[in-house]
Amino acid sequence: MTYPPSSEDVSGAVPQGAGRLAVGETLTAGGDAPSDLQNPVGAAVLASSVRGKKRKSSQLDGDRGFVSEQDWRRPSVNATMKTLHVILLVLLVVVGVGPMLLLAKFAITPTQDIIRTPLAIFPNGVRWANLTEAWNDVEISKYFLNTIWLALGSWFMQLLVATTGGFVLSVLRPKWAKIVNGLVIATLFVPSVVLLVPLYLTILDPPVLGTSLINNFFAVWLPAGASAFNVVLVARFFDSLPREVFEAAKVDGAGPFRLFWSVVLPMSKPILGVVSVFAFIASWKDFLWPMLVLKDPSKQPLSVRLPAIAAQTDLGVFLAALAISTLIPVLLFLVFQRLFLSGAGLGGAVKG
Amino acid sequence: MKSPRITLAFTLVGALALGGTLAACSSDSGSGDGDKNTPSATAAPTLDPNTKVTLNVVGLLPGSTKEAQQALADEVTEFQNQYPNITVQTHDYEWKATTFAADLAGGTLPTVFEIPFTDAKTLIANQQISDMQGYVNQLSYASDFNKNLLQYGQGPDGDVYAIPAKSIYAVGLHYNRDLFTKAGLDPDKPPTTWDEVRTDAKAIADKTGQAGFAQMSQSGTGGWQLTVDTYARGGRVESEDGKTATLTNDATKASLQFLQDLRWTDNSMGQNFNYDWAGINQAFAAGKIGMYTSGQDVYTALVQANNIDPETYGLTMIPLEGDNSGVLGGGTMAAVSSKATDDEKAAAIKWIDFHYLRKYTNEQAAVTNAKTQVASKQPVGTPELPIFSQAQYEKYQGWIKPYVNVPLDQMTGFTSKIFDAKLVNEPATATQDVYAALDPVVQAVLTKKDADIDKLLADANTKAQRAIDSAGR
Amino acid sequence: MSAASALPRSGDRSDDVVAVRADGPPPVRRVRRNPVTWVRRGGLSTLVFALPVLVVFGVFSWWPIVRSVVMSFQKTNLVAPATWVGWDNFQYVLTDPDLPTAIRNTLYFALLALVIGFPIPLVAAVLMSSVKRLKGLYSVLAYLPVVVPPVVAVLLWKFFYDGSADGVFNTILGWVGLGPYAWLSSPTLAMPSLVVEATWAAAGGTVIIYLAALIGVPGELYDAAEVDGAGIWRKVWHVTMPQLRGVLFITFILQIIGTVQVFLEPYLFTGGGPANATLTILLMIYNYAFGRSLGGDYGAATALSVMLAAFLAILSLIYFKLTSSWSKS
Repeated sequence: MTYPPSSEDVSGAVPQGAGRLAVGETLTAGGDAPSDLQNPVGAAVLASSVRGKKRKSSQLDGDRGFVSEQDWRRPSVNATMKTLHVILLVLLVVVGVGPMLLLAKFAITPTQDIIRTPLAIFPNGVRWANLTEAWNDVEISKYFLNTIWLALGSWFMQLLVATTGGFVLSVLRPKWAKIVNGLVIATLFVPSVVLLVPLYLTILDPPVLGTSLINNFFAVWLPAGASAFNVVLVARFFDSLPREVFEAAKVDGAGPFRLFWSVVLPMSKPILGVVSVFAFIASWKDFLWPMLVLKDPSKQPLSVRLPAIAAQTDLGVFLAALAISTLIPVLLFLVFQRLFLSGAGLGGAVKG
Repeated sequence: MKSPRITLAFTLVGALALGGTLAACSSDSGSGDGDKNTPSATAAPTLDPNTKVTLNVVGLLPGSTKEAQQALADEVTEFQNQYPNITVQTHDYEWKATTFAADLAGGTLPTVFEIPFTDAKTLIANQQISDMQGYVNQLSYASDFNKNLLQYGQGPDGDVYAIPAKSIYAVGLHYNRDLFTKAGLDPDKPPTTWDEVRTDAKAIADKTGQAGFAQMSQSGTGGWQLTVDTYARGGRVESEDGKTATLTNDATKASLQFLQDLRWTDNSMGQNFNYDWAGINQAFAAGKIGMYTSGQDVYTALVQANNIDPETYGLTMIPLEGDNSGVLGGGTMAAVSSKATDDEKAAAIKWIDFHYLRKYTNEQAAVTNAKTQVASKQPVGTPELPIFSQAQYEKYQGWIKPYVNVPLDQMTGFTSKIFDAKLVNEPATATQDVYAALDPVVQAVLTKKDADIDKLLADANTKAQRAIDSAGR
Repeated sequence: MSAASALPRSGDRSDDVVAVRADGPPPVRRVRRNPVTWVRRGGLSTLVFALPVLVVFGVFSWWPIVRSVVMSFQKTNLVAPATWVGWDNFQYVLTDPDLPTAIRNTLYFALLALVIGFPIPLVAAVLMSSVKRLKGLYSVLAYLPVVVPPVVAVLLWKFFYDGSADGVFNTILGWVGLGPYAWLSSPTLAMPSLVVEATWAAAGGTVIIYLAALIGVPGELYDAAEVDGAGIWRKVWHVTMPQLRGVLFITFILQIIGTVQVFLEPYLFTGGGPANATLTILLMIYNYAFGRSLGGDYGAATALSVMLAAFLAILSLIYFKLTSSWSKS
């Protein structure tokens, strides 16, 4: 569970797909004029994305804030605000980064030191072997790979469903689009907990297939695609694309497939980037669902495996394993900051 | 109660086989209304050496050391050499009440899997495991099983469905000899009464700062150990017929009072009260606990998963006080999924024989097994309770004596007395649910200073009764 | 359309053409969809495009939702076919002695999370929106905990919360002479410990959302306020806050809904203990379905899920009725 439910994930209990956002997501009547265009932030982001500009710190550079230029010139205001900023920065570093730094430190500290003097700085030197042991003996590498596979498959499913679904709802707009739209949005109002048991039983005994999907990566990939949030996000985005381009393409003889592949998708890179980033991170974080459906330890991702081996693993090695698991998401975040942050803000725009 | 399914299965097998044993099989299926409680004495057909079978079986605890994995792999190779038509695939497995149900439902348990004694009858009633009587009859020692253990795995028709296989245990008191020494206690004279446990725990806590005594409390293990304590003081948590919960008996109260005293008056239980079976083992092996109770075979896990230093390990009997006191015992059975084909069942019995049982009845097998274990630095000789007779067990011990690498002389407190002790089975109905109802009681006593023991037990009793009433719901 | 064109043409299977009338309004010509026309008009390709969303949602979202409600009235045991048991499951759940505890704990968690986790991101975001240099750094630092996988965060904090005097938090508190505290082993401290970690992990996301909304506040409003002589505090209180109202309303209800479904923290930190102090509704549902040794009680699990969903739905409806009347005032 992450709360408040950010645009990534609301369910603590269910595959990231199904009904991810809980009751209360007021997306103004789906399919109508995209209301987020009326929200300045949404508009700014969408507009800049359509133009294909790289989103700069437009996230943080809006209109002027509540402190005016004159305010800044007053020494008391200046001093107070700057002090507050510094305090905030220090708090953010200690609280936000502190635990991660500690983890990094523990990852290379010998176990006895971790137990006896956790906050001392390497009183007995560094133990790099923690990392190699985690990678090899505890076989973090295997679970790491599983996590990557799961993330890739989920990402692909989510993109597939969201882009094709958004395309149908927004561009092709058949008569039944409204019904489907409504049904999709309805799932946003259903708390994910409701799906847990029946989805599990569906995986045990899927229609058509005849064999249980337990221990099969598809048991995680397929439900991941059922993310209403993604579909709505992409559909909205497609709504904002200029229709003239489509008309022009149709006049040029493009059928729906050409239209999709060569016109719509290339113009949608920003939103696809956002969806991709969130899909990847949500998959990396997924816990309960993979735990239920991937019973074979050799297929389990890191999130499921780490708690299971906690009691059998030396503490230093275990913490090194934790550190390794965090590395990729954090690196991804640092590299793709803008995408993350704008997407997170976009989530708020959609909600507003 | 022979189901038509079994009749059909036998007929098919007969058709596949070379014919000879058909008559015996069909006369079995026909005699369904005969003496219901006598298992049939005829054997099912053995596996045709030309039929290839792949058998999925449970392997080791997840996270076991590479050496342990290697030892198992070697054993599999040997088995496959002996039966070239059978391919064995092992799967890591830890039995946990919470995941077993899902595994069973999802069909992800291997064909041959392990279950605790207490689960067998329910699985039989749910038709989730196969009738193995015909295959058991193929074993040369089929009539030598310890009847007390066998009956856990017998169905209402008297047939054996689940076979007593391993880890037949009685609960013992494990202690850290090193901490004893540091606390000024004699490691060769472990406590024999609960009062002595208390004073020793206090000494350890005072002089070494580690927990003198620890108790499991999570995932059903809290209830399990509290039941152990109850039995040791002469009480029971369920009525004889398994229909009534009796958690409010004096022995349970006394056990909780004991914990309360050690925790709050003596402060000798350390700071961690979140232990489950694996967690307490880990802490003990790391030298953080002076004494705790658990199955006497835990030493194997301590070696395989927790790197214990053998010098520090000691095992003794759990103190028994009062009439009707006994040592809680249990064990693990091997069962075969009801979805297994007859070929798989035939292969399964061979694996069960090879992997679990042979070493107790066949000297050469015992020696080979011991040698393999030693070569991979696995513990040989951890005390067990006999699956067959005690005499057989003593013979077995003689065979492997040269290879024993566990500190048996540090375990004499247990081994010298256990065979004379009264063994009491785990509660028969809704066992895990009763344990789960007791977990919060143990947790409350350990974490709340003025926990009201009577009220907690009354509430737990209601919950346990509810579970018993709806058992099989 | 003239009457003449309404006559059926050969090859046109439009047999539902309205009768021709010599006078009156032109008849409606409905061309019954025939397969060829349908394909030509792109019906097939539309269906192909719709297939992923329809199949995936159908099998893994819509059908399970329906099935959940159905199962709450059945007894399912996976071996035999399901039987109808009416309200039995609901009765069973409502008479479970642990249910009041779970409800209480869940509400406690939600409330604590609100008290701790709602104002802090707001204050931080407001401050951050006034930062002139290194804005990006603040955002990155705030959002960093959000990208850490929850399992890692919980396991790490579980270690921090070690109850011995050498535990990380106990050591730090020891520097100022406090503690040591039992944290996860204390019935009173266990839940707050969970809330603190959960807040740490999630606050960053809220900060970013607020920040985005703050950027959207039109500058003219501040200009106008300054003309009226408003100082910083007045500007924040009378301009910024009201502008944020929409986002705040939404985040508030979303947070409630999210926290009521908390599962991971109780499951991994304490398993519901000590002594059920951290037992939440989701944990109970999980235990019903997957925590029973020999066969889950799926009926009870779905019954409780359905009740929870209904409760949340009603709550949201009431909430939106209330807030929409506030917004309009």
